[in-house]
Amino acid sequence: MLETPRFDSGWNSAENIVAAIASGRASAVSVVEATLARIRKRDPLLNSFTAVLEHRALTRAAALDDAREKGNRPGPLTGVPFAVKNLFDVAGLPTIAGSKINRDAPPATRDAALIERLEAAGAVLVGALNMGEYAYDFTGENVHDGPSRNPHDLNRMTGGSSGGSGAAVAGGLVPLALGSDTNGSIRVPASLCGIFGLKPTYGRLTRARTFPFVSSLDHLGPLARTARDLALAYDAMQGHDADDPACADRAAEPVVPLLEQGIDGLRIAVAGGYFKCQSAETVSAMDRVAAALGANRDIDIPQAERARSAAFVITASEGASVHIDRLRARARDFDPAVRDRLIAGAMTPAALVMKAQKFRRWYRGEVLKLFAEVDAILTPATPCTAPLLGQQTFTFGDVELPVRANLGFYTQPISFIGLPVVAIPVPLAPLPIAVQVIAAPWREDVALRIAHALEVKGVVAAMRPPE
Amino acid sequence: MKRKTRSPNKRQTAKTSGRRLRAGAKISAKSSGKTGRKPQPRRQTKPDDAIEALVAASAQALGLPLDPGWRAAVKFNFQLILRHAALVDEFPLPDEAEPAPVFHA
Repeated sequence: MLETPRFDSGWNSAENIVAAIASGRASAVSVVEATLARIRKRDPLLNSFTAVLEHRALTRAAALDDAREKGNRPGPLTGVPFAVKNLFDVAGLPTIAGSKINRDAPPATRDAALIERLEAAGAVLVGALNMGEYAYDFTGENVHDGPSRNPHDLNRMTGGSSGGSGAAVAGGLVPLALGSDTNGSIRVPASLCGIFGLKPTYGRLTRARTFPFVSSLDHLGPLARTARDLALAYDAMQGHDADDPACADRAAEPVVPLLEQGIDGLRIAVAGGYFKCQSAETVSAMDRVAAALGANRDIDIPQAERARSAAFVITASEGASVHIDRLRARARDFDPAVRDRLIAGAMTPAALVMKAQKFRRWYRGEVLKLFAEVDAILTPATPCTAPLLGQQTFTFGDVELPVRANLGFYTQPISFIGLPVVAIPVPLAPLPIAVQVIAAPWREDVALRIAHALEVKGVVAAMRPPE
Repeated sequence: MKRKTRSPNKRQTAKTSGRRLRAGAKISAKSSGKTGRKPQPRRQTKPDDAIEALVAASAQALGLPLDPGWRAAVKFNFQLILRHAALVDEFPLPDEAEPAPVFHA
Protein backbone atom coordinates (compact mmCIF):
# COMPACT_ATOMS: atom_id res chain seq x y z
CA MET A 1 0.00 0.00 0.00
CA LEU A 2 1.36 3.39 -0.99
CA GLU A 3 -0.80 5.47 1.35
CA THR A 4 0.91 7.97 3.61
CA PRO A 5 -1.27 10.35 5.59
CA ARG A 6 1.57 12.84 6.00
CA PHE A 7 1.60 14.14 2.45
CA ASP A 8 -0.77 17.11 2.18
CA SER A 9 -1.43 17.81 -1.47
CA GLY A 10 -3.66 20.80 -0.63
CA TRP A 11 -1.16 23.57 -1.23
CA ASN A 12 1.52 21.46 -2.85
CA SER A 13 2.67 22.14 -6.36
CA ALA A 14 2.19 19.72 -9.22
CA GLU A 15 5.96 19.24 -9.13
CA ASN A 16 5.84 18.14 -5.45
CA ILE A 17 2.89 15.83 -6.06
CA VAL A 18 4.74 14.11 -8.90
CA ALA A 19 7.80 13.72 -6.68
CA ALA A 20 5.76 12.38 -3.75
CA ILE A 21 4.08 9.76 -5.94
CA ALA A 22 7.33 8.82 -7.68
CA SER A 23 9.05 8.29 -4.31
CA GLY A 24 6.14 6.32 -2.85
CA ARG A 25 5.28 8.95 -0.22
CA ALA A 26 1.82 9.20 -1.73
CA SER A 27 -0.33 7.39 -4.25
CA ALA A 28 -2.30 8.88 -7.10
CA VAL A 29 -5.47 7.60 -5.44
CA SER A 30 -4.65 9.29 -2.12
CA VAL A 31 -3.92 12.59 -3.88
CA VAL A 32 -7.13 12.44 -5.89
CA GLU A 33 -9.21 11.43 -2.85
CA ALA A 34 -7.80 14.37 -0.89
CA THR A 35 -8.53 16.65 -3.84
CA LEU A 36 -12.13 15.47 -4.07
CA ALA A 37 -12.54 15.96 -0.31
CA ARG A 38 -11.24 19.53 -0.57
CA ILE A 39 -13.62 20.25 -3.43
CA ARG A 40 -16.55 18.93 -1.37
CA LYS A 41 -15.52 21.04 1.61
CA ARG A 42 -14.41 24.29 -0.02
CA ASP A 43 -16.25 24.57 -3.29
CA PRO A 44 -19.65 25.40 -1.80
CA LEU A 45 -17.94 28.67 -0.84
CA LEU A 46 -15.80 29.23 -3.94
CA ASN A 47 -18.35 28.02 -6.52
CA SER A 48 -15.55 27.18 -8.91
CA PHE A 49 -16.71 23.75 -10.15
CA THR A 50 -19.74 23.04 -12.33
CA ALA A 51 -19.01 19.29 -12.59
CA VAL A 52 -16.91 16.98 -10.42
CA LEU A 53 -15.79 13.71 -12.02
CA GLU A 54 -15.26 11.53 -8.95
CA HIS A 55 -15.61 8.13 -10.60
CA ARG A 56 -13.53 9.02 -13.63
CA ALA A 57 -10.77 10.58 -11.53
CA LEU A 58 -10.53 7.73 -9.04
CA THR A 59 -10.54 5.11 -11.81
CA ARG A 60 -7.78 6.95 -13.61
CA ALA A 61 -5.74 7.39 -10.42
CA ALA A 62 -6.04 3.70 -9.59
CA ALA A 63 -4.81 2.84 -13.08
CA LEU A 64 -1.79 5.10 -12.57
CA ASP A 65 -0.98 3.41 -9.25
CA ASP A 66 -1.30 -0.01 -10.87
CA ALA A 67 1.04 1.04 -13.64
CA ARG A 68 3.58 2.26 -11.12
CA GLU A 69 3.41 -0.95 -9.13
CA LYS A 70 4.08 -2.83 -12.35
CA GLY A 71 7.22 -0.77 -12.81
CA ASN A 72 5.99 1.46 -15.66
CA ARG A 73 7.82 4.75 -15.97
CA PRO A 74 5.67 7.62 -14.65
CA GLY A 75 4.87 10.64 -16.80
CA PRO A 76 5.93 14.20 -15.98
CA LEU A 77 2.53 14.93 -14.41
CA THR A 78 1.65 11.55 -12.90
CA GLY A 79 -1.06 11.89 -10.30
CA VAL A 80 -1.52 15.66 -10.67
CA PRO A 81 -5.21 16.57 -10.35
CA PHE A 82 -6.39 19.25 -12.73
CA ALA A 83 -9.66 20.81 -13.87
CA VAL A 84 -10.75 22.67 -16.99
CA LYS A 85 -12.90 25.68 -17.80
CA ASN A 86 -16.23 24.26 -18.89
CA LEU A 87 -15.74 25.25 -22.54
CA PHE A 88 -13.37 22.26 -22.91
CA ASP A 89 -15.05 19.11 -24.19
CA VAL A 90 -15.16 16.42 -21.51
CA ALA A 91 -16.42 13.08 -22.77
CA GLY A 92 -19.84 12.40 -21.31
CA LEU A 93 -20.67 16.04 -20.46
CA PRO A 94 -22.32 18.74 -22.55
CA THR A 95 -19.83 21.55 -23.18
CA ILE A 96 -21.82 24.30 -21.51
CA ALA A 97 -19.32 27.18 -21.98
CA GLY A 98 -20.94 29.00 -19.09
CA SER A 99 -24.32 29.10 -20.79
CA LYS A 100 -27.83 27.86 -20.13
CA ILE A 101 -28.43 27.07 -23.81
CA ASN A 102 -25.57 24.58 -24.23
CA ARG A 103 -26.90 22.44 -21.37
CA ASP A 104 -29.26 21.03 -24.00
CA ALA A 105 -26.36 20.01 -26.24
CA PRO A 106 -25.50 16.30 -26.50
CA PRO A 107 -22.63 15.14 -24.31
CA ALA A 108 -19.18 15.39 -25.84
CA THR A 109 -17.93 12.08 -27.19
CA ARG A 110 -14.25 12.80 -26.76
CA ASP A 111 -12.09 14.96 -24.48
CA ALA A 112 -10.55 18.19 -25.71
CA ALA A 113 -7.07 17.69 -27.18
CA LEU A 114 -5.32 19.42 -24.28
CA ILE A 115 -7.06 17.18 -21.74
CA GLU A 116 -5.84 14.17 -23.68
CA ARG A 117 -2.31 15.54 -23.71
CA LEU A 118 -2.25 16.29 -19.98
CA GLU A 119 -3.66 12.86 -19.18
CA ALA A 120 -1.10 11.25 -21.49
CA ALA A 121 1.50 12.89 -19.23
CA GLY A 122 -0.15 11.33 -16.17
CA ALA A 123 -2.43 14.12 -14.95
CA VAL A 124 -5.93 13.32 -13.67
CA LEU A 125 -8.97 15.35 -14.71
CA VAL A 126 -11.23 15.95 -11.69
CA GLY A 127 -13.85 18.33 -13.07
CA ALA A 128 -15.13 21.24 -15.14
CA LEU A 129 -15.01 24.84 -13.97
CA ASN A 130 -17.29 27.84 -13.81
CA MET A 131 -16.80 30.66 -16.32
CA GLY A 132 -18.41 33.79 -17.71
CA GLU A 133 -21.06 33.01 -20.30
CA TYR A 134 -19.51 32.07 -23.65
CA ALA A 135 -16.24 33.63 -22.41
CA TYR A 136 -17.51 37.17 -23.14
CA ASP A 137 -16.56 38.35 -19.68
CA PHE A 138 -13.81 39.76 -17.47
CA THR A 139 -15.54 39.40 -14.07
CA GLY A 140 -16.02 35.68 -13.36
CA GLU A 141 -19.70 36.32 -12.67
CA ASN A 142 -22.29 34.02 -14.23
CA VAL A 143 -26.06 34.51 -14.06
CA HIS A 144 -26.78 30.79 -14.47
CA ASP A 145 -24.23 29.20 -12.13
CA GLY A 146 -23.57 32.11 -9.79
CA PRO A 147 -20.22 33.90 -9.51
CA SER A 148 -16.98 32.12 -8.84
CA ARG A 149 -15.61 33.69 -5.66
CA ASN A 150 -12.15 35.00 -4.94
CA PRO A 151 -10.41 32.79 -2.34
CA HIS A 152 -8.72 35.85 -0.80
CA ASP A 153 -12.07 37.50 -0.12
CA LEU A 154 -15.27 35.62 -0.92
CA ASN A 155 -17.10 38.90 -1.53
CA ARG A 156 -14.83 39.76 -4.42
CA MET A 157 -14.57 38.83 -8.08
CA THR A 158 -12.18 36.21 -9.39
CA GLY A 159 -11.92 37.97 -12.70
CA GLY A 160 -12.89 36.20 -15.87
CA SER A 161 -13.82 34.67 -17.95
CA SER A 162 -11.75 31.75 -16.57
CA GLY A 163 -13.08 32.60 -13.10
CA GLY A 164 -13.50 29.04 -11.86
CA SER A 165 -9.96 28.25 -13.00
CA GLY A 166 -8.64 31.14 -10.92
CA ALA A 167 -10.66 30.24 -7.84
CA ALA A 168 -9.90 26.50 -7.95
CA VAL A 169 -6.13 27.02 -8.19
CA ALA A 170 -5.87 29.99 -5.80
CA GLY A 171 -8.20 28.25 -3.35
CA GLY A 172 -5.98 25.15 -3.20
CA LEU A 173 -8.55 22.79 -4.71
CA VAL A 174 -6.29 21.77 -7.60
CA PRO A 175 -2.68 22.71 -8.40
CA LEU A 176 -3.43 23.14 -12.09
CA ALA A 177 -6.30 24.32 -14.26
CA LEU A 178 -6.81 25.15 -17.91
CA GLY A 179 -8.49 28.30 -19.15
CA SER A 180 -8.97 30.23 -22.34
CA ASP A 181 -7.81 33.75 -23.13
CA THR A 182 -9.28 35.78 -25.98
CA ASN A 183 -8.67 39.25 -24.57
CA GLY A 184 -7.30 38.49 -21.10
CA SER A 185 -9.40 35.67 -19.67
CA ILE A 186 -6.41 33.77 -18.21
CA ARG A 187 -4.38 36.81 -17.16
CA VAL A 188 -7.21 38.73 -15.49
CA PRO A 189 -8.22 35.92 -13.08
CA ALA A 190 -4.54 35.11 -12.49
CA SER A 191 -4.08 38.72 -11.41
CA LEU A 192 -7.17 39.05 -9.22
CA CYS A 193 -6.66 35.61 -7.61
CA GLY A 194 -2.89 35.97 -7.22
CA ILE A 195 -1.63 32.97 -9.21
CA PHE A 196 0.50 32.34 -12.29
CA GLY A 197 -1.11 32.18 -15.72
CA LEU A 198 0.35 31.49 -19.14
CA LYS A 199 -1.19 32.72 -22.37
CA PRO A 200 1.07 31.19 -24.98
CA THR A 201 1.73 32.47 -28.49
CA TYR A 202 -1.35 32.40 -30.72
CA GLY A 203 -1.31 29.04 -32.50
CA ARG A 204 1.01 27.34 -30.01
CA LEU A 205 -1.52 25.13 -28.19
CA THR A 206 -4.29 23.29 -29.96
CA ARG A 207 -7.85 24.42 -29.32
CA ALA A 208 -9.37 21.26 -30.79
CA ARG A 209 -12.64 20.25 -29.17
CA THR A 210 -13.17 23.42 -27.17
CA PHE A 211 -16.08 25.81 -27.59
CA PRO A 212 -14.95 28.83 -29.63
CA PHE A 213 -15.48 32.51 -28.97
CA VAL A 214 -13.33 34.58 -31.36
CA SER A 215 -11.29 32.33 -33.60
CA SER A 216 -8.87 35.14 -34.56
CA LEU A 217 -7.98 35.74 -30.93
CA ASP A 218 -8.72 32.57 -28.93
CA HIS A 219 -5.87 31.00 -26.96
CA LEU A 220 -5.78 28.23 -24.34
CA GLY A 221 -3.34 27.92 -21.47
CA PRO A 222 -2.63 26.82 -17.89
CA LEU A 223 -3.04 28.51 -14.50
CA ALA A 224 -0.98 27.28 -11.55
CA ARG A 225 0.60 28.32 -8.25
CA THR A 226 4.21 28.14 -9.46
CA ALA A 227 6.00 29.08 -12.65
CA ARG A 228 7.49 25.60 -12.88
CA ASP A 229 4.03 24.02 -12.80
CA LEU A 230 3.01 26.28 -15.68
CA ALA A 231 6.05 25.07 -17.60
CA LEU A 232 5.40 21.39 -16.78
CA ALA A 233 1.84 21.64 -18.06
CA TYR A 234 2.82 23.76 -21.04
CA ASP A 235 5.50 21.30 -22.14
CA ALA A 236 3.02 18.43 -21.91
CA MET A 237 0.52 20.26 -24.14
CA GLN A 238 2.75 21.50 -26.97
CA GLY A 239 2.79 20.11 -30.49
CA HIS A 240 0.96 20.47 -33.77
CA ASP A 241 -2.62 19.29 -34.12
CA ALA A 242 -4.33 19.26 -37.50
CA ASP A 243 -7.70 19.40 -35.72
CA ASP A 244 -7.11 23.10 -34.96
CA PRO A 245 -6.59 25.02 -38.23
CA ALA A 246 -4.79 27.82 -36.36
CA CYS A 247 -2.38 25.49 -34.53
CA ALA A 248 1.12 26.14 -35.83
CA ASP A 249 2.98 23.32 -37.52
CA ARG A 250 5.82 23.66 -35.10
CA ALA A 251 7.74 21.13 -33.05
CA ALA A 252 7.46 21.22 -29.29
CA GLU A 253 10.06 23.46 -27.63
CA PRO A 254 10.29 22.28 -24.01
CA VAL A 255 10.80 25.02 -21.44
CA VAL A 256 11.32 23.08 -18.20
CA PRO A 257 14.98 22.31 -19.02
CA LEU A 258 15.59 26.04 -19.56
CA LEU A 259 14.03 27.41 -16.39
CA GLU A 260 17.23 27.49 -14.36
CA GLN A 261 19.07 29.53 -16.98
CA GLY A 262 18.02 32.62 -15.06
CA ILE A 263 17.74 36.10 -16.46
CA ASP A 264 21.36 37.07 -17.06
CA GLY A 265 21.68 38.76 -20.41
CA LEU A 266 17.95 39.30 -20.88
CA ARG A 267 16.98 42.85 -21.85
CA ILE A 268 13.82 43.75 -19.98
CA ALA A 269 11.87 46.99 -20.37
CA VAL A 270 8.83 48.58 -18.75
CA ALA A 271 6.02 49.72 -21.04
CA GLY A 272 5.00 53.36 -20.63
CA GLY A 273 2.40 55.49 -22.37
CA TYR A 274 -0.89 53.61 -22.55
CA PHE A 275 0.41 51.09 -20.00
CA LYS A 276 1.34 53.66 -17.37
CA CYS A 277 0.15 52.61 -13.91
CA GLN A 278 -2.97 54.41 -12.71
CA SER A 279 -3.35 52.96 -9.21
CA ALA A 280 -1.20 52.56 -6.10
CA GLU A 281 -1.41 48.76 -6.43
CA THR A 282 -0.13 48.65 -9.99
CA VAL A 283 2.65 51.11 -9.15
CA SER A 284 3.73 48.99 -6.20
CA ALA A 285 3.62 45.71 -8.14
CA MET A 286 5.45 47.09 -11.17
CA ASP A 287 8.11 48.80 -9.02
CA ARG A 288 8.87 45.59 -7.14
CA VAL A 289 9.18 43.50 -10.27
CA ALA A 290 11.11 46.07 -12.28
CA ALA A 291 13.55 46.66 -9.42
CA ALA A 292 14.17 42.94 -8.94
CA LEU A 293 14.88 42.56 -12.64
CA GLY A 294 16.94 45.73 -12.98
CA ALA A 295 14.52 46.84 -15.68
CA ASN A 296 15.37 50.53 -15.93
CA ARG A 297 14.42 51.08 -19.52
CA ASP A 298 11.02 52.43 -20.57
CA ILE A 299 9.56 51.46 -23.91
CA ASP A 300 6.54 52.66 -25.84
CA ILE A 301 4.23 50.12 -27.43
CA PRO A 302 2.89 52.17 -30.35
CA GLN A 303 -0.84 52.58 -30.92
CA ALA A 304 -1.81 50.31 -28.02
CA GLU A 305 -5.10 52.13 -27.47
CA ARG A 306 -6.07 51.61 -31.09
CA ALA A 307 -5.01 47.97 -30.80
CA ARG A 308 -7.42 47.51 -27.92
CA SER A 309 -10.18 49.10 -29.96
CA ALA A 310 -9.46 46.84 -32.92
CA ALA A 311 -9.57 43.79 -30.63
CA PHE A 312 -12.89 45.07 -29.29
CA VAL A 313 -14.38 45.33 -32.80
CA ILE A 314 -13.12 41.93 -33.96
CA THR A 315 -14.36 40.33 -30.74
CA ALA A 316 -17.84 41.84 -31.09
CA SER A 317 -18.21 40.78 -34.69
CA GLU A 318 -16.66 37.30 -34.63
CA GLY A 319 -18.31 36.51 -31.31
CA ALA A 320 -21.67 37.43 -32.80
CA SER A 321 -21.08 35.24 -35.83
CA VAL A 322 -20.56 32.22 -33.55
CA HIS A 323 -23.85 32.86 -31.76
CA ILE A 324 -26.15 34.38 -34.37
CA ASP A 325 -28.34 31.27 -34.74
CA ARG A 326 -28.69 30.94 -30.97
CA LEU A 327 -29.57 34.64 -30.76
CA ARG A 328 -32.34 34.12 -33.31
CA ALA A 329 -33.72 31.05 -31.60
CA ARG A 330 -33.10 31.54 -27.87
CA ALA A 331 -32.15 35.13 -27.18
CA ARG A 332 -33.98 35.11 -23.85
CA ASP A 333 -31.84 32.28 -22.55
CA PHE A 334 -28.62 34.31 -22.74
CA ASP A 335 -27.19 36.36 -19.92
CA PRO A 336 -28.70 39.75 -20.88
CA ALA A 337 -25.32 41.50 -20.64
CA VAL A 338 -23.84 39.01 -23.10
CA ARG A 339 -26.88 38.93 -25.39
CA ASP A 340 -27.05 42.71 -25.85
CA ARG A 341 -23.37 42.89 -26.77
CA LEU A 342 -23.65 39.98 -29.20
CA ILE A 343 -26.70 41.45 -30.94
CA ALA A 344 -24.85 44.74 -31.33
CA GLY A 345 -21.79 42.83 -32.54
CA ALA A 346 -23.83 41.18 -35.29
CA MET A 347 -24.58 44.64 -36.67
CA THR A 348 -20.94 45.74 -36.96
CA PRO A 349 -20.16 46.81 -40.54
CA ALA A 350 -17.90 44.25 -42.20
CA ALA A 351 -15.66 46.96 -43.68
CA LEU A 352 -14.75 48.14 -40.19
CA VAL A 353 -14.02 44.61 -38.99
CA MET A 354 -11.75 44.06 -41.97
CA LYS A 355 -9.99 47.32 -41.25
CA ALA A 356 -9.38 46.14 -37.69
CA GLN A 357 -7.80 42.96 -39.09
CA LYS A 358 -5.59 45.05 -41.37
CA PHE A 359 -4.60 47.25 -38.47
CA ARG A 360 -3.77 44.10 -36.55
CA ARG A 361 -1.13 43.14 -39.06
CA TRP A 362 0.32 46.66 -39.11
CA TYR A 363 0.48 46.79 -35.31
CA ARG A 364 2.13 43.37 -35.13
CA GLY A 365 4.90 44.60 -37.44
CA GLU A 366 5.52 47.66 -35.27
CA VAL A 367 5.54 45.77 -31.98
CA LEU A 368 7.84 43.06 -33.33
CA LYS A 369 10.43 45.77 -34.07
CA LEU A 370 10.64 46.38 -30.33
CA PHE A 371 11.84 42.84 -29.78
CA ALA A 372 15.00 43.65 -31.71
CA GLU A 373 15.89 45.87 -28.76
CA VAL A 374 14.41 43.99 -25.79
CA ASP A 375 13.64 40.40 -24.83
CA ALA A 376 10.69 41.07 -22.57
CA ILE A 377 8.31 43.88 -21.71
CA LEU A 378 6.57 44.41 -18.36
CA THR A 379 3.09 45.89 -17.95
CA PRO A 380 0.43 45.65 -15.25
CA ALA A 381 -1.99 42.76 -15.82
CA THR A 382 -5.09 44.48 -14.44
CA PRO A 383 -5.78 48.11 -13.59
CA CYS A 384 -6.90 47.22 -10.05
CA THR A 385 -7.07 44.42 -7.49
CA ALA A 386 -10.23 42.29 -7.23
CA PRO A 387 -13.40 44.43 -7.26
CA LEU A 388 -16.36 43.48 -5.09
CA LEU A 389 -18.90 41.13 -6.68
CA GLY A 390 -21.45 43.24 -8.51
CA GLN A 391 -19.23 46.32 -8.45
CA GLN A 392 -19.94 48.40 -11.53
CA THR A 393 -17.06 50.88 -11.70
CA PHE A 394 -13.53 51.39 -10.44
CA THR A 395 -11.21 54.36 -10.22
CA PHE A 396 -8.64 54.59 -12.99
CA GLY A 397 -6.40 57.57 -12.44
CA ASP A 398 -8.90 60.34 -11.93
CA VAL A 399 -11.83 58.79 -13.78
CA GLU A 400 -14.41 56.11 -13.00
CA LEU A 401 -14.54 53.29 -15.56
CA PRO A 402 -16.97 50.37 -15.92
CA VAL A 403 -15.47 47.20 -14.40
CA ARG A 404 -16.88 44.72 -16.89
CA ALA A 405 -15.34 46.32 -19.97
CA ASN A 406 -12.07 47.54 -18.50
CA LEU A 407 -10.50 44.77 -16.43
CA GLY A 408 -8.82 43.80 -19.72
CA PHE A 409 -7.45 47.28 -20.34
CA TYR A 410 -3.81 46.11 -20.20
CA THR A 411 -4.27 42.60 -21.57
CA GLN A 412 -6.22 43.26 -24.78
CA PRO A 413 -3.51 45.07 -26.79
CA ILE A 414 -1.13 42.15 -26.16
CA SER A 415 -3.28 39.11 -26.97
CA PHE A 416 -4.50 41.05 -30.01
CA ILE A 417 -1.26 40.06 -31.76
CA GLY A 418 -0.82 36.75 -30.01
CA LEU A 419 2.30 37.53 -27.98
CA PRO A 420 3.16 35.02 -25.23
CA VAL A 421 2.59 36.35 -21.72
CA VAL A 422 3.08 35.02 -18.21
CA ALA A 423 0.99 36.76 -15.54
CA ILE A 424 3.12 36.78 -12.36
CA PRO A 425 1.40 37.36 -9.00
CA VAL A 426 2.79 40.03 -6.69
CA PRO A 427 1.64 39.22 -3.13
CA LEU A 428 0.46 42.64 -2.03
CA ALA A 429 -1.70 42.98 1.09
CA PRO A 430 -4.59 42.65 1.40
CA LEU A 431 -5.09 41.56 -2.21
CA PRO A 432 -2.66 40.34 -4.87
CA ILE A 433 -2.25 41.72 -8.37
CA ALA A 434 -0.21 40.49 -11.33
CA VAL A 435 2.29 41.90 -13.78
CA GLN A 436 2.45 40.77 -17.40
CA VAL A 437 5.80 39.47 -18.66
CA ILE A 438 5.49 39.74 -22.43
CA ALA A 439 7.91 38.08 -24.83
CA ALA A 440 8.37 37.84 -28.59
CA PRO A 441 6.28 35.27 -30.47
CA TRP A 442 7.31 31.67 -29.70
CA ARG A 443 9.52 32.79 -26.79
CA GLU A 444 7.42 31.48 -23.92
CA ASP A 445 10.75 30.28 -22.51
CA VAL A 446 11.87 33.87 -21.90
CA ALA A 447 8.69 34.83 -20.04
CA LEU A 448 8.71 31.62 -17.97
CA ARG A 449 12.40 31.99 -17.09
CA ILE A 450 11.74 35.50 -15.80
CA ALA A 451 8.70 34.30 -13.83
CA HIS A 452 10.68 31.47 -12.28
CA ALA A 453 13.65 33.70 -11.40
CA LEU A 454 11.37 36.20 -9.65
CA GLU A 455 9.67 33.38 -7.76
CA VAL A 456 13.03 32.04 -6.58
CA LYS A 457 13.92 35.56 -5.38
CA GLY A 458 10.64 35.74 -3.46
CA VAL A 459 9.39 38.75 -5.40
CA VAL A 460 6.36 36.96 -6.82
CA ALA A 461 4.37 34.13 -5.26
CA ALA A 462 0.90 32.67 -5.01
CA MET A 463 -0.29 33.59 -1.51
CA ARG A 464 -2.20 30.94 0.43
CA PRO A 465 -5.62 32.40 1.26
CA PRO A 466 -7.32 32.03 4.65
CA GLU A 467 -9.55 28.94 4.97
CA MET B 1 4.52 55.56 -44.76
CA LYS B 2 2.26 57.16 -47.31
CA ARG B 3 -0.62 58.87 -45.57
CA LYS B 4 -4.07 58.95 -47.05
CA THR B 5 -6.59 61.69 -46.64
CA ARG B 6 -9.47 61.09 -44.30
CA SER B 7 -12.58 59.43 -45.64
CA PRO B 8 -15.76 61.50 -46.01
CA ASN B 9 -17.53 62.69 -42.91
CA LYS B 10 -18.61 59.72 -40.80
CA ARG B 11 -21.75 61.32 -39.52
CA GLN B 12 -22.96 61.74 -43.06
CA THR B 13 -22.10 58.11 -43.83
CA ALA B 14 -24.08 56.87 -40.84
CA LYS B 15 -27.11 58.90 -41.83
CA THR B 16 -26.96 57.60 -45.36
CA SER B 17 -26.74 54.03 -44.10
CA GLY B 18 -29.71 54.56 -41.86
CA ARG B 19 -31.81 55.95 -44.71
CA ARG B 20 -30.85 53.14 -47.02
CA LEU B 21 -31.75 50.48 -44.53
CA ARG B 22 -35.05 52.11 -43.71
CA ALA B 23 -35.79 52.35 -47.41
CA GLY B 24 -35.17 48.62 -47.66
CA ALA B 25 -37.87 47.91 -45.10
CA LYS B 26 -41.53 47.64 -45.96
CA ILE B 27 -42.59 50.82 -47.77
CA SER B 28 -46.07 52.06 -46.99
CA ALA B 29 -48.35 53.64 -49.61
CA LYS B 30 -47.98 56.94 -47.80
CA SER B 31 -44.21 57.03 -47.85
CA SER B 32 -44.02 55.84 -51.45
CA GLY B 33 -45.81 58.97 -52.56
CA LYS B 34 -48.87 57.26 -54.06
CA THR B 35 -51.28 59.46 -52.16
CA GLY B 36 -50.54 62.38 -54.43
CA ARG B 37 -49.59 64.60 -51.49
CA LYS B 38 -47.11 67.34 -52.12
CA PRO B 39 -43.60 66.06 -51.32
CA GLN B 40 -42.34 67.32 -47.96
CA PRO B 41 -38.82 68.68 -47.57
CA ARG B 42 -36.54 65.91 -46.29
CA ARG B 43 -36.22 66.10 -42.52
CA GLN B 44 -32.70 66.26 -41.12
CA THR B 45 -32.17 63.04 -39.13
CA LYS B 46 -30.44 63.39 -35.78
CA PRO B 47 -27.38 61.11 -35.40
CA ASP B 48 -28.97 59.45 -32.39
CA ASP B 49 -32.14 58.73 -34.35
CA ALA B 50 -30.05 57.37 -37.22
CA ILE B 51 -28.31 54.90 -34.90
CA GLU B 52 -31.62 53.85 -33.41
CA ALA B 53 -33.06 53.33 -36.88
CA LEU B 54 -29.95 51.45 -37.98
CA VAL B 55 -30.15 49.11 -34.98
CA ALA B 56 -33.83 48.42 -35.60
CA ALA B 57 -33.32 47.88 -39.33
CA SER B 58 -30.26 45.70 -38.83
CA ALA B 59 -32.13 43.50 -36.37
CA GLN B 60 -34.93 43.14 -38.91
CA ALA B 61 -32.57 42.45 -41.80
CA LEU B 62 -30.58 39.89 -39.81
CA GLY B 63 -33.64 38.23 -38.34
CA LEU B 64 -32.54 39.02 -34.80
CA PRO B 65 -35.06 39.56 -32.04
CA LEU B 66 -35.02 43.03 -30.49
CA ASP B 67 -37.30 43.20 -27.49
CA PRO B 68 -38.23 46.81 -26.65
CA GLY B 69 -36.64 46.26 -23.24
CA TRP B 70 -33.27 45.44 -24.87
CA ARG B 71 -33.15 48.26 -27.41
CA ALA B 72 -31.38 50.81 -25.23
CA ALA B 73 -28.65 48.35 -24.21
CA VAL B 74 -28.13 47.09 -27.76
CA LYS B 75 -27.95 50.66 -29.02
CA PHE B 76 -25.47 51.56 -26.28
CA ASN B 77 -23.28 48.58 -27.19
CA PHE B 78 -23.54 49.31 -30.90
CA GLN B 79 -22.45 52.89 -30.32
CA LEU B 80 -19.57 51.62 -28.21
CA ILE B 81 -18.46 49.35 -31.06
CA LEU B 82 -18.69 52.24 -33.52
CA ARG B 83 -16.59 54.43 -31.22
CA HIS B 84 -13.88 51.77 -31.05
CA ALA B 85 -14.17 51.16 -34.79
CA ALA B 86 -13.79 54.88 -35.48
CA LEU B 87 -10.49 54.90 -33.62
CA VAL B 88 -9.25 52.16 -35.94
CA ASP B 89 -10.90 53.63 -39.04
CA GLU B 90 -9.22 56.99 -38.67
CA PHE B 91 -5.77 55.40 -38.66
CA PRO B 92 -4.24 55.68 -42.13
CA LEU B 93 -3.20 52.37 -43.66
CA PRO B 94 -1.82 51.88 -47.17
CA ASP B 95 -4.13 50.39 -49.80
CA GLU B 96 -1.85 47.35 -49.86
CA ALA B 97 -2.39 46.57 -46.17
CA GLU B 98 -3.24 42.89 -45.73
CA PRO B 99 -5.59 41.61 -43.05
CA ALA B 100 -4.31 39.26 -40.38
CA PRO B 101 -6.57 36.19 -40.19
CA VAL B 102 -4.90 32.80 -40.30
CA PHE B 103 -5.63 30.88 -43.46
CA HIS B 104 -3.58 28.17 -45.10
CA ALA B 105 -4.60 26.98 -48.57
